[in-house]
Amino acid sequence: MSAKNHKQWKIPAFEQGDYVDSRIYSDQNIFDEEQDKIFKQVWIPVCHESELPEAYDFRTTSIAKEPIIVVRGKDNEVRAFLNVCPHRGMRIERRTAGSFSDGQPSGNPKHMTCMFHAWQFDMKGNCVDIPRAKEGYQDRLTKENVGLRRLRCEVRFGGFVWVTLNDKVEQDLEAWADGAFECIRSAIDTEPLEVFHYHKAIIDSNYKLWHDTNSEFYHDYMHYHNRVTGFNDEYFARTNKGFKNGHVNVNSFTVQYGEFELGESREDLSFPGFPPNQWYMIDLFPGMNFNLRGSALRCDIVTPLGPNKVMIEFRGLGLKSDSQKDRKTRIEHHNSIWGPFGRNLHEDLLGITGQGASMQTGSEPRRILHGRHENNLIHDEIGMRHFYDEWSKWMGRNPSDPMDEQNKVLAAE
Amino acid sequence: MNAMKAVITAAVTDIVYRSCLYLDNGNWGDFLDLCDDSMIYSIKAYSVEIRRDMEYLSHNKKELGTLTEMLPKLNSDHSPLRRHASVYTVDIGEDGETATAVTSLAVYQNMHDGINSHIDSGETRLFLVGKYLDKFKISGESALLIEREVRLDTRRLDKGTHHLI
Repeated sequence: MSAKNHKQWKIPAFEQGDYVDSRIYSDQNIFDEEQDKIFKQVWIPVCHESELPEAYDFRTTSIAKEPIIVVRGKDNEVRAFLNVCPHRGMRIERRTAGSFSDGQPSGNPKHMTCMFHAWQFDMKGNCVDIPRAKEGYQDRLTKENVGLRRLRCEVRFGGFVWVTLNDKVEQDLEAWADGAFECIRSAIDTEPLEVFHYHKAIIDSNYKLWHDTNSEFYHDYMHYHNRVTGFNDEYFARTNKGFKNGHVNVNSFTVQYGEFELGESREDLSFPGFPPNQWYMIDLFPGMNFNLRGSALRCDIVTPLGPNKVMIEFRGLGLKSDSQKDRKTRIEHHNSIWGPFGRNLHEDLLGITGQGASMQTGSEPRRILHGRHENNLIHDEIGMRHFYDEWSKWMGRNPSDPMDEQNKVLAAE
Repeated sequence: MNAMKAVITAAVTDIVYRSCLYLDNGNWGDFLDLCDDSMIYSIKAYSVEIRRDMEYLSHNKKELGTLTEMLPKLNSDHSPLRRHASVYTVDIGEDGETATAVTSLAVYQNMHDGINSHIDSGETRLFLVGKYLDKFKISGESALLIEREVRLDTRRLDKGTHHLI
């Protein structure tokens, strides 16, 4: 049988677990649940410590619609708070990045100041001044009674700043990663890293479709660059390895960069202890990706904006000790593949754009396959299956039957 | 001297506008013919997020030729980019052998496939704004590009593109 009607199309080609129902990518209720049940509960990398190198530097971001500010104190500690004034709920800092060293129209140097009514906070989140507090609040409220909402924050795995909205998160970050970073640990933790590239994309697609793309290499057929530099016996011998909490990494092989017309070896700019021209990939639940490819580290962070809209932030990192010449070369290597004008990223984003267009809210439910089984080798879709096993635990839904329809039919029969 | 200055200014302005037409139409060879062999092309932007200057793309003339010849091998969308440019300033070096030009640039994308071609085709969207910061080698009454920096204001580039800006 070739083309199928809707009923025939809905008959699973595989067992449950080898496909998902497309409504997990398009249903508003499922999206809302994901925000509460997953994104507000787990560790999320929000920036890199090199984005706030000096005391009083800050960076603003958000997780699950909650505004967050990350600051470096004069004690050099990086701390995270809700970027919300405890007075009237105003967003305290509106810029994306900067320094509190200089004063603002409403505030003193070295303080976070809410411009609305000039409540001031230090870098530890303590409220240090409420204008005319005594006159307005008498003894009912003092600056000691209020402060910023602090968030659990760790700097780890190459200097990334990780935050969780969950005060009672069960695992510290090291336990949460469960060893997924060990394959590149010495390369990214031997000496400080530094961000040299940042750009973002907002795509009409579901965040999981981006993570799916990062979790499967079968789509390398789409990339001319990867076909000519990669498709050989060593590439097809790469394996996927699953870790607790839905994380996956993919081991390395030697990329033949010289086979690409504009390519060159990355050997001279390998990360510390990292063999030349290697490429490791780490996919972290629920949607973060770390790619160490020869001379550059790439990190993707997703911020889901709706069932069919996602913001993806792309960072490129090198060594803080880079000479100017080495840094320029490292940037060229990174951006020739992964920049907004690079060979691969544009194509990856076209892929999930096309998926997003066919899986809009209300579209006919369909089966999205991830049923390639190849002994965990590179084109095995185990990475996605591992992710959805974890997603199912957090959501209490079967991704193959998220509305519990098949079970209801079976029960009725 | 003023007459010569006017001639050179006209030559520089003509090259900027011709470069836009050639790039609009994908006439990569004609664009490269406007460039000296020493040409350096780059796309740069300043990130307020990481507070650094960034270089998204950088190639010499030979590499640009390779890059553009490679385009048929690469997957992309089919929505052409269209430039609207205004040459703001042309400054001629004291020696009369070089010139610089600053051009305000808006690039639109005329949707063919877009996101859902049934809906999007025929629509024109703003793709990016920025400037061309060009340097020229002057020889008599003619000019050739020796450097083009595409300085982007737009940093949210979404799907991006394989094409030169």
